[in-house]
Amino acid sequence: MDLEFFIQQLINGITLGGVYALIALGYTMVYGIIQLINFAHGEFFAAGGYMGVILISYLAAQGLHPYACLAIALVLAMGYCALLAMAVEQLAYKPLRQASRLAALLSALGMSIFLQNGLMLTQGVYDKAYPTEITSGGFEWGLVSVSYMQIFIVALTASLLVGLNVLVFKTRIGRAMRATSQDKIMSALVGINSNRIIAITFAIGAGLAAAAGIMVGLYYGSVSYSMGFVPGIKAFAAAVLGGIGNITGALIGGLIIGMVEIFAAGYISGEYKDVFAFIILIGVLYFRPTGIMGENVDDTRV
Amino acid sequence: MTIHESKKLWIGCGVGLIWFLILLWPLLGITPEGLEFGKTFKVFGYVAVAAVFIMFFYQVKEAGHLDMVGTPLKSATGVVGQVYEKTPRWILLAIVLALAIIFPLVTGRYAHDVSISVLIYICLGLGLNIVVGLAGLLDLGYIAFYGVGAYTYALMSLHFGLSFWICLPISALTAAIAGCIIGYPTLRMRGDYLAIVTLGFGEIVRLILNNWMALTNGPNGILSIPRPELFGFNFKPLWSMYYVILAIAVFTILSVYRLNYSRIGRAWEAIREDETAAELMGVNTFLLKLLAYAMGATFAGFAGAFFAARMKFVGPESFSFLESAMVLAMVVLGGMGSIPGVILGVLVLVALPEMFRGLELYRMLVFGGVMTLMMLIRPAGIWPAKRVGRRSEEAE
Amino acid sequence: MKRLLVLVVALAALGLLLAGCGGEEKKAEQVLKIGTMSPLTGPYAADGNDIRQGTEIAVEVIKGEGGIPGYSDILVFPQDTACDPKQAVAAANKLINEEVTAVVGAYCSSSTIPSSDTLSEENIVMLTPASTNPKVTERGLPYMFRTCGRDDHQAPAAVKFMKEVENVKSVFIVDDKTTYSQGLAEGVAVAAKAAGIAVLEHDHVNQGDKDFSAVLTKVKAANPDLFYISLQNSATGALMVIQAKRMGIDAILMGQDAVYHPKLVEIAKGASDGMYCTFGAIDKDAPKYKEFQTKYKAKTGNEPGAYSAYSFDSAMAYLMAVKAAGTTDPAKVREELLKLDFTGASKQLKYVENGDSGSNYTVYRVSDGKFTPYWNSLTGEKY
Repeated sequence: MDLEFFIQQLINGITLGGVYALIALGYTMVYGIIQLINFAHGEFFAAGGYMGVILISYLAAQGLHPYACLAIALVLAMGYCALLAMAVEQLAYKPLRQASRLAALLSALGMSIFLQNGLMLTQGVYDKAYPTEITSGGFEWGLVSVSYMQIFIVALTASLLVGLNVLVFKTRIGRAMRATSQDKIMSALVGINSNRIIAITFAIGAGLAAAAGIMVGLYYGSVSYSMGFVPGIKAFAAAVLGGIGNITGALIGGLIIGMVEIFAAGYISGEYKDVFAFIILIGVLYFRPTGIMGENVDDTRV
Repeated sequence: MTIHESKKLWIGCGVGLIWFLILLWPLLGITPEGLEFGKTFKVFGYVAVAAVFIMFFYQVKEAGHLDMVGTPLKSATGVVGQVYEKTPRWILLAIVLALAIIFPLVTGRYAHDVSISVLIYICLGLGLNIVVGLAGLLDLGYIAFYGVGAYTYALMSLHFGLSFWICLPISALTAAIAGCIIGYPTLRMRGDYLAIVTLGFGEIVRLILNNWMALTNGPNGILSIPRPELFGFNFKPLWSMYYVILAIAVFTILSVYRLNYSRIGRAWEAIREDETAAELMGVNTFLLKLLAYAMGATFAGFAGAFFAARMKFVGPESFSFLESAMVLAMVVLGGMGSIPGVILGVLVLVALPEMFRGLELYRMLVFGGVMTLMMLIRPAGIWPAKRVGRRSEEAE
Repeated sequence: MKRLLVLVVALAALGLLLAGCGGEEKKAEQVLKIGTMSPLTGPYAADGNDIRQGTEIAVEVIKGEGGIPGYSDILVFPQDTACDPKQAVAAANKLINEEVTAVVGAYCSSSTIPSSDTLSEENIVMLTPASTNPKVTERGLPYMFRTCGRDDHQAPAAVKFMKEVENVKSVFIVDDKTTYSQGLAEGVAVAAKAAGIAVLEHDHVNQGDKDFSAVLTKVKAANPDLFYISLQNSATGALMVIQAKRMGIDAILMGQDAVYHPKLVEIAKGASDGMYCTFGAIDKDAPKYKEFQTKYKAKTGNEPGAYSAYSFDSAMAYLMAVKAAGTTDPAKVREELLKLDFTGASKQLKYVENGDSGSNYTVYRVSDGKFTPYWNSLTGEKY
């Protein structure tokens, strides 16, 4: 029984960790490139979740096959959040690039409150239910139950991460992104349009968060307008834990935070699980101040 | 304003409005029944009209057509500004103090409530100002000290029956100790790592307050906390509490002012500007950073004890991360490192949402938008401190 | 920069003064004002809005019957508490400034208790439709009334059901560490032990959590007969139920009155089939309820939520008491409130000396996609 309990919690942890990793990626990429803690990132996650349910119910009402609905909704929601992120960046962060970091931070906080309340006003205060018929069911293996949704989440997270790695390390745009986050001035001197790259980074980060939002909606069955805030903070902690600016770091950090939460809740107590996650974060940072994989930010000085 | 510039502005405005429409429509217009455009265009209509109006107004102003109204206004404020410069400091302060003292006598209960909140947040803002504005340590978990102070008074009065006046320094002391404990691990960290760690600590404190039933009575909070008593006068009426917090706030302002213009204050500013250079000049960064946390926490402790006495009830929900973020917003909006700036920031962020209570559901939306807008217009804050350079990490 | 400063200070000062002087504009004509305090934003906004709407419907009904003699109009002032004690006290102060004579609210017991202190200082009648913590009416406040039931009646009712109807031998309790949920869960744990039911474990989650897989794995491993869910709102309840069913937990699911809401079934769909919840007995076939339901649906387009009926009754009780007393003087209104004995939309309403109005908890069951009454705790009979 204990082994099965452990395995079950492991599966739960990986699933949750995958979701956190997807959100953490957005944080880490944005921080790596403009050194801004984008508090509004959690709201992209929530917006993605909402767009998912809106699109899925609309497409389903038009009579499309459920899997097709899901695929189209996923792509469209990611696109929508990418546009949203680009708009937010142009409006609230671009003018503040030369100002102090705290000003940009507060602008991000203001946008977070604005977007959250915007979602509440346009979508209503009640939770919105996801049509979960498409993804229910799973299989049992003794006392361990794995649902299809969990497999789907892990698979999608993995494929998105592979895609991101290919993008960042094998394409020209990826090279430009890495160059800009390493040294903005030099990359501008070699002809890279940093404004465009920054916009693209925001867009990709938000797209990943949107995918996470849809998966969370399908997995848990509902989305609410306030669902972005707490996962946003935890995902930021995950990004920092793994090494801010570092993509693999975000993945590792997300998995660790997810696992610590689940195992603390499973073996110690459900109420203090967040405390353990933060204690691990503080502990790691105390001994390794730049995170597990080391940071990756623009800290060159002229 | 040339035709060219004006055209660019209008095109920019137009593009922005189109983006807004594209972002708004899916949220309002896609329903399972079909695609509808009515609601979207209604909202879009309002926003478009407002945007066009603002653009038009701005262009007219730039073109100088509004000078008939603008110039007398400017000269009037110029005169006021001159009078302000000429009067010695202490007369101005005396006037403000006098206004503050007679305030409760001329206003109703709601204004008392709001002004008490304002004064509490002034204490909090000034305390955070020491940590963030003077010493440059980005603390996102500041509200934990507030909570520690509040619960200390609550528990002391509940278990030991100590009076408010004795508990006030005790709360400040416990908060200071908490400040040192939380500050210690963060001393090696820099910038934004500090932020997330302090945020983590803030959440840990809140979770402990919420879950440790035996000590803090968990989510139920602690009830029936007594009001302060002085020579037999029980501070039951609200306006009497106003004077208590006014005294605490004045004390905080004076202390922060003295700290600001002392050797310690200068050392903090040196740490903020460039920590390595400060260390080389003989500033004991370790001790001073701890001191910054401790001093900031002390004022939060005072405010916390008062808060518990005023509400007669403390619960863990009042000490969330959002509160920390609000206090930080007050400090930055008002102007980091400057005392009148922080006071102004508190006024704007506490009094304005109360004025907007009529908007009900739209209140927080407007609040978020205003916060972003203020940072876009005046990133240095409303009344920035005079002696602020740039942090070395941002030097570029 | 200086001119900006002067401008802002002037604005702020003006704002405060205006806020303070709001009372001077009221005309001599009598207008009856009642306020509502409930979370209109935040995670409990669903129930909070139900409370506001229930009160507004009550006012409409009274106005439709001719209003109250002596008053030209009845106005409702909704305030947002966001289930935060600080905001609740601020809302109470704002309502005092608006010169309301009664308040329907609040929702969270942790908001009701401190704000009731504030309101009682001004002798404003407070009727809570949703705060079930026993302390609410045990502090000796003369103008504090409670229209809903109390947790120290809800817990024994739930345990009685477990023992007598379902013959449960073991139970696993989970709550989310809020005042209300935890108090109720503890009540259930104590009553269960006294009734001889084994409490396998009493675990906690945090308010606002979405992922319950860790706790549910524990539940599955413990394999209880019944899984008691004590949470603060129906949205979280839906999440819990969906995940429980997905994990293959086949224990009987039971919730409480905060989880009871049509939205639960809407979100959880098939997963909530067969689930039980305790809630105050509402006779949905009674003519009064049907009347209330039609009006509610016509105005808001939704079915009445769990607390709409209670807030409707609270407001109706107050307005009827004012009508009978002929004045809003709190002492006289209190007398009339204590004399009331009428069939409300939610129950037979009769207030006792300390402000409570009796609890009649019924166990509801989800079948065919909605909650139907299943077992009456007072009579011990099934429906």
